[in-house]
Amino acid sequence: MTNTLTCANLSKRYGGAIAVRDVGFTIAPGEAYGLLGPNGAGKTTTISMLVGLLKPDTGTVVVGGTDLAAEPMAAKAKIGYVPQEIALYPDLTGRENLRFFGRLFGLPRKALRGRVEEVLDLVGLADRADAKLDTYSGGMKRRINIGAALLHRPELLILDEPTVGVDPQSRKSILDGVERLVADGMALLYTSHYMEEVERLCHRVAIIDHGAIVAEGTRHELIELVGGVDRIELTLDGDVETALAKLHGVGGVTEAVRTSAGSVRLIAEGGRYLLPAIISTVDGIATVTAVEVVEPDLEATFLHLTGSTLRD
Amino acid sequence: MLRPLLTVSALELRTRIRDRTALVIAIVVPVAMATLFGVALGGDDPPLRATVGFVDLDGGEFPAGVRRELTASTELEGVLTLRDLPGREQAQTALDAGDIGAAIVFPAGFSTSVGAGEGGQVGVLTSADTPLAGVVANAVVDRISALVRARTLAVRASLDAGVPASEVKEFVERNGAGGPALTLANDPMAGGKVDLSVYYGAGMAALFAFFVVGASFRSLLIERKQGTLDRMRAGPIHAWVPIAGKAVVGFGLAMVSVCVTWASSVLIFGSSWGDPVAVFTLLLAHVLAATAITMLVASRARTDAQADGVIMVISFVAAFFGGSLVPLYSLPDVLQKLALFTPNAWTTTGLTGLAGSGAGLASVAAPIGVLCAIAVVAFGLSAMGFRKGLLG
Ligand SMILES: Nc1ncnc2c1ncn2[C@@H]1O[C@H](COP(=O)(O)OP(=O)(O)OP(=O)(O)O)[C@@H](O)[C@H]1O
Ligand SMILES: [Mg+2]
Repeated sequence: MTNTLTCANLSKRYGGAIAVRDVGFTIAPGEAYGLLGPNGAGKTTTISMLVGLLKPDTGTVVVGGTDLAAEPMAAKAKIGYVPQEIALYPDLTGRENLRFFGRLFGLPRKALRGRVEEVLDLVGLADRADAKLDTYSGGMKRRINIGAALLHRPELLILDEPTVGVDPQSRKSILDGVERLVADGMALLYTSHYMEEVERLCHRVAIIDHGAIVAEGTRHELIELVGGVDRIELTLDGDVETALAKLHGVGGVTEAVRTSAGSVRLIAEGGRYLLPAIISTVDGIATVTAVEVVEPDLEATFLHLTGSTLRD
Repeated sequence: MLRPLLTVSALELRTRIRDRTALVIAIVVPVAMATLFGVALGGDDPPLRATVGFVDLDGGEFPAGVRRELTASTELEGVLTLRDLPGREQAQTALDAGDIGAAIVFPAGFSTSVGAGEGGQVGVLTSADTPLAGVVANAVVDRISALVRARTLAVRASLDAGVPASEVKEFVERNGAGGPALTLANDPMAGGKVDLSVYYGAGMAALFAFFVVGASFRSLLIERKQGTLDRMRAGPIHAWVPIAGKAVVGFGLAMVSVCVTWASSVLIFGSSWGDPVAVFTLLLAHVLAATAITMLVASRARTDAQADGVIMVISFVAAFFGGSLVPLYSLPDVLQKLALFTPNAWTTTGLTGLAGSGAGLASVAAPIGVLCAIAVVAFGLSAMGFRKGLLG
């Protein structure tokens, strides 16, 4: 079976800075693949090279057996690309936006009308289809933004952080929709800051940091990388900064980062056995008002591998 | 290939037509300004009267013939007065003092040199204050130059054919190649009616063409910011489709704008711009050059606001130095040289020439050629710019 997407050795340099270094992965038909990385990791740059917006300095992209560099039109026709920002016309209605991109991407005139209605139903916007886009809520815009990439029934859907700034309800409806598409056999490349989305949606995940993939595998494979490491969420009251510095020195703690004004996240081996040591370390500097020990998950893996939190 | 292009163009056209401000800028403002300038400065039918200085340093038969023809012309009766002046300096003084509106200067030895087949150059003095007389004097001199060229050719041909030098003059005249008789085939006063309404109409058309076509490239940059350009480019279309789709609409709207300005000038002032085919072709070449220049700006600009500003500056600078706002002849010589780099100068000069002479397409081949050359260069540079930037 040929992969829906095969990319290899992708590199991109902006002036002196390397944005993407030697990135490569494959996505099979019907497979959901996650690309996880902090801000500036190179996710959007990678995607831009996959959809032909950016010429890679090195590397190849093959979509459904078609080489992107050699036959850009044929390769692009198989991709549905959803940009990170809403990329639609604010003074057109939702339906007009869809019709425009459908026509532009070569949908036959007859099929276009029906397909636009289908997509409107799919993203749950049939009742608002004739309102101008700038009257839509953030979540509705996100949904129609995805819809515009589905018109030509792509083999591969590429979503670049599609749920940024969306309320939980809209987010759920987006994820449900995407899940259905994958279940129907579409290949998916998904990037997000939200670990739980990737955990829920993606069969395989790559962790990208500073332009390079640092780990790749199924969710279980990645979590195993961390081994017996737990994540500890502490809520502190007092001099959090000093407490954080002290916590770095506790034996068994491998990572310590501040996640908000009064909270700290630790990655530690044998987490729950370290709790007494942790509490006594911060004694006199800050009071521990809440503790949560979380068994290893993708987020812990991520922190372990990149030394940073995802949501910053 | 064609369908995506038409899709982009259709959306652009629709957006532009929905945008009332853009429509006003494309149609209402140029017509209003051309009309206003025409009424305020041109006037419909000012009493056409021109006094042209006549400096005959030659004393030969050629100037005499010209004088005979000018004074005998019925069209010019009561309109053109010739005043004899002894020399170029005196003519300049009279011109500066406003005693004459323009002057024609025959240099010493002119008749002899023309007779010998060596050609000759008649001088013209004009003043910004009396464009009308300037037009008349130039029209006369243009006719003389044509005559001199024909004559020079005939003499050369005869000499080459072995006719002895002493007999050439008689031989040429007997064979009909223009004696020193000046036939004013076209009423030079038609040039006088290149009243300022045509002049300003042409100027406004030339100026606003930039704004109108520029708006489409601005919208291209807005689409880049909006992300819709990338979305298009990620689709299965040729990289140039978004740019070409917008350029076509900008070009078309600019053509509509210049043609409406032209039509309004004809309707409101009843003044003819000359041969319609030639006028249309010249306008077409101008809009092409304006399209290429604004495209070049868009290809290098970072933001739509920056492109907007630069296009505005370029349009006004080109309009000013190109004589779209103030008549070219009122600019200092250096600036008149500068004018040669602006499409506006070629267009305005070409258009006033057409209106003045009644000549056809062939007479504006040079300006059209230059405009096309400007367009080709600017298109080439903008293609390079787009490859590096927008399409990088
Ligand atoms: N046009 C550009 N010129 C110069 N540097 C750029 C450009 N685009 C991106 N970069 C740099 O390349 C690196 C990767 O950026 P990219 O946008 O791919 O990150 P990302 O993973 O998508 O981040 P985010 O999660 O914030 O969207 C960053 O360091 C960024 O500053
Ligand atoms: Mg990004």
